[in-house]
Amino acid sequence: MRRRRGPGAGSGAALLMAMWLAASPPLATAARAGAPEDLFEKGNTAFEAGQYEEAAASYEKILGYGLHDPRVLYNLGNAYFKLGRLGDSILQYERALRLSPGDRETRDNLDLARGQIRDRVTEPDLQYPIRVVKESIERLPPDPLAIAFFFLYTGTAGLLGGLIVSRSWVRRRLLGYGALLAGLLALTAGAALLYKMRQMSAEVAIVLQDKVDVRSGPGEENTILFTVHEGTRMELRNRLEPWMQVSLPNGLSGWVPASAVEKV
Amino acid sequence: MIGRRWRAVLAVLALLPLAAAPLSRAQDQVRVRAQVDRTEMGEGEDLRLTIEIIGPSLDRVGPPDMSVLDDFVVSGGPSVSTRFQWINGVSTSSKTYTYSLTPTRTGKSTIPSLGVLVAGSTYRTQSIDIGVLPRGAVRSPFGSPPARPGRPAGPRSPASPPGTPRGGSAPPAALRVRTEVDPRTAYVGQQITLKVVLSTQTEVLNIGYQETPTFPGFWTEEIKLPDQLEVRRVPIDGEMWSEITLMKRALFPTSAGPLTVPPIGWQIQVRRRSSDPLESFFFTPTETVTRRTDPVTVTALPLPVAGRPAGFSGAVGEFSLQVTADRTSSRVNDAVGLKVRVAGEGSLGAVDAPAIAELADFKRFDPKVTSSTSLQNDRFRSEKAWDYVVIPLAPGAQMVPPVSFSYFDPKAGQYRTLTSRPLSIQVARGDDAGSPALPTVAQSDVRLLRRDIHYLKMASGGLRDRSRPLFRSPLFAVLLLLPLAADLSLWSWVRMRDTSPQAARSRRERRARAAARRRLRQARRCMKPATARTFYASVAQAMTDYVGDRFDSAGAGLTHQRIEELLAARGAPEDVRKALHRCVEACDFARFAPASSGEEEMRRTLRAAEETLVGLERTLPR
Repeated sequence: MRRRRGPGAGSGAALLMAMWLAASPPLATAARAGAPEDLFEKGNTAFEAGQYEEAAASYEKILGYGLHDPRVLYNLGNAYFKLGRLGDSILQYERALRLSPGDRETRDNLDLARGQIRDRVTEPDLQYPIRVVKESIERLPPDPLAIAFFFLYTGTAGLLGGLIVSRSWVRRRLLGYGALLAGLLALTAGAALLYKMRQMSAEVAIVLQDKVDVRSGPGEENTILFTVHEGTRMELRNRLEPWMQVSLPNGLSGWVPASAVEKV
Repeated sequence: MIGRRWRAVLAVLALLPLAAAPLSRAQDQVRVRAQVDRTEMGEGEDLRLTIEIIGPSLDRVGPPDMSVLDDFVVSGGPSVSTRFQWINGVSTSSKTYTYSLTPTRTGKSTIPSLGVLVAGSTYRTQSIDIGVLPRGAVRSPFGSPPARPGRPAGPRSPASPPGTPRGGSAPPAALRVRTEVDPRTAYVGQQITLKVVLSTQTEVLNIGYQETPTFPGFWTEEIKLPDQLEVRRVPIDGEMWSEITLMKRALFPTSAGPLTVPPIGWQIQVRRRSSDPLESFFFTPTETVTRRTDPVTVTALPLPVAGRPAGFSGAVGEFSLQVTADRTSSRVNDAVGLKVRVAGEGSLGAVDAPAIAELADFKRFDPKVTSSTSLQNDRFRSEKAWDYVVIPLAPGAQMVPPVSFSYFDPKAGQYRTLTSRPLSIQVARGDDAGSPALPTVAQSDVRLLRRDIHYLKMASGGLRDRSRPLFRSPLFAVLLLLPLAADLSLWSWVRMRDTSPQAARSRRERRARAAARRRLRQARRCMKPATARTFYASVAQAMTDYVGDRFDSAGAGLTHQRIEELLAARGAPEDVRKALHRCVEACDFARFAPASSGEEEMRRTLRAAEETLVGLERTLPR
């Protein structure tokens, strides 16, 4: 009985690792003979020489290859920041944070850039323990979290399998406790992963124009409710091309032209 | 001031014709007369025109119509004076208008007949011809002047040039005033030096402004002249002239564009040559002439936008920068004086302190500002100093970073930036090394001087696309389903196995011993004579049920015969079979004759039953 369960879990983990490696495509881009790395170096050199336009162009080219490395996004954000394009720089930092949420430099630079924009939107305050939990989950990298959840989940399933098969009373008792513990851990990890999934697929947009009027409906004829400025972060709620319904953390919402904002 | 004086002069002037006029004609007749102070004049000089209206009543007199003037422009006036006279009950009034005229061309010029409106009728003056000579031309002495002016009081103290070049023979009006401007083209804020020079061939007694000069569009600074005006002798066209500098100003254009230095009017009192020897002997015959300078246009250039440094101070000129500390070594908390001094040619009025970078290890107080201005060779010089007091907060070699000052150099036409050398100040520890107690250190937080973004990240280990997290992959969902599916199939397999007949039989077999033990425990509880029947029944049932469970047949239907057969078929040893048989028989016997069995008998039976069961368990194959 045990033998039957073992290979199942083992092959699953192996498959997972293989998948993780396959999902990351240096293999796919290696065919271009390290061109992205060269571009990255070129961008860094231009940045150091103060040629931020050139640097940004190089980084953008890497992204054009479909190579969304958080370091490229971060450096691109820096270049935009130096060029004074706050909205673009915030957008890139946000994107970098999505891919590598634990990165302190990105978070610091994002905070610094947000400190330079005109709009100050106060987010509702959270209680201390909830805030800490929220922030620590937000900072967890998604892939290790997914792997941890997978192993905990598989372990729970394995222990439950043992429980089903086993006849000995003592063994059943041990397996039962083990399954309970592993199950609780898997539940926690699963909840964190769910939160992460929601957070990462949240529809968020950054204002890229100097000033955007937010209207009461999708169309120029509607009343202007309020005005937002470059760099402000808004949640996307609805779409009615070419308009988007957005909302601010403080509850204000309205419609803006889709061209004025860019999705993170 | 000047007006009042002129009025007094004109009062005297007005009397002369009145006295000459025959009174009888003056009774009901209005007469209008024009008079000039001379009929020949030089270009750039002023002519005085007096228009006199005499009549019985001059209540309704309008000013003369000066718009018909072609060859002259009105450069001053009119000043108006009125007189009344009663003679034998007849009143006579006179009103005079006095104008200053400047010719617009040379040669023969005419003051045309001018109309005056008196009580609704127009009266006309006679026209007067004037000869205007070009500049520098030698002129003959002009005709008798109409009046002797009073004592003109100019703003300047009387200057007494030592005699005229050719004694008394020079014409008294050989005077010229000119403006010299250097340079004609300047940047905004650059100094333009204005000089007014009087050239004369006659003796000048007194000089004064006609009106205080103003210079719109300029910020002005007076250049002081010596108390005793300096007279230079210069030859002009072969003749010797005296030149006196009357005024100097440093002008700084405040805005870009063409700017005009307006004409400045001067009243010059000169000695007049008199034909009357008596007058010459007792009085100093003088006359006052008026001269105006020509307007001068200068061009003010805006400061170039290209190449303007970020910290441009706004100063225009040529400056030097000095940054000094009053000492190079100090102790913690011992103040050091830091002086930033900018000095040079040009104005520093609106210049702020050159920026000193934030000093991390010094406490800095607001500076004391001192400034001074001076004139050196007619150039305006400024000096401005900022005195800082800085207090070192930490020991070691502390650096005061370089200070920069930017200004615009109009000579080169470009911006210049001066940067001082960094100052190093050796700071020793505080003054408490000798005391046994530890010094108290004034701690301060580490201050963030300025903020910037974190630096670039390097791609060690290559770049990788991370845009697809693991949980987005469909394989991840499939993998999550796998353990669930495994557990479910395991569970259903176990369940299926347990519900099959064979599984039921083996489960009964497995449970046989436990059931027998349970029965025997039950029996032990009723091991008393009163419940002897139940005891024996339980023991017998334990035995038969065990055999039944083991051989998968109902224990109730088993006869002794059948039990023997089953056990023999399974290969149970003879003695175990016998013991079982005996035990069951003993139970049956005791159940039907309970009186004969005591407690001792029961215990023996129970033990026998237990031993038999152990024997069976051991010998029967599983």
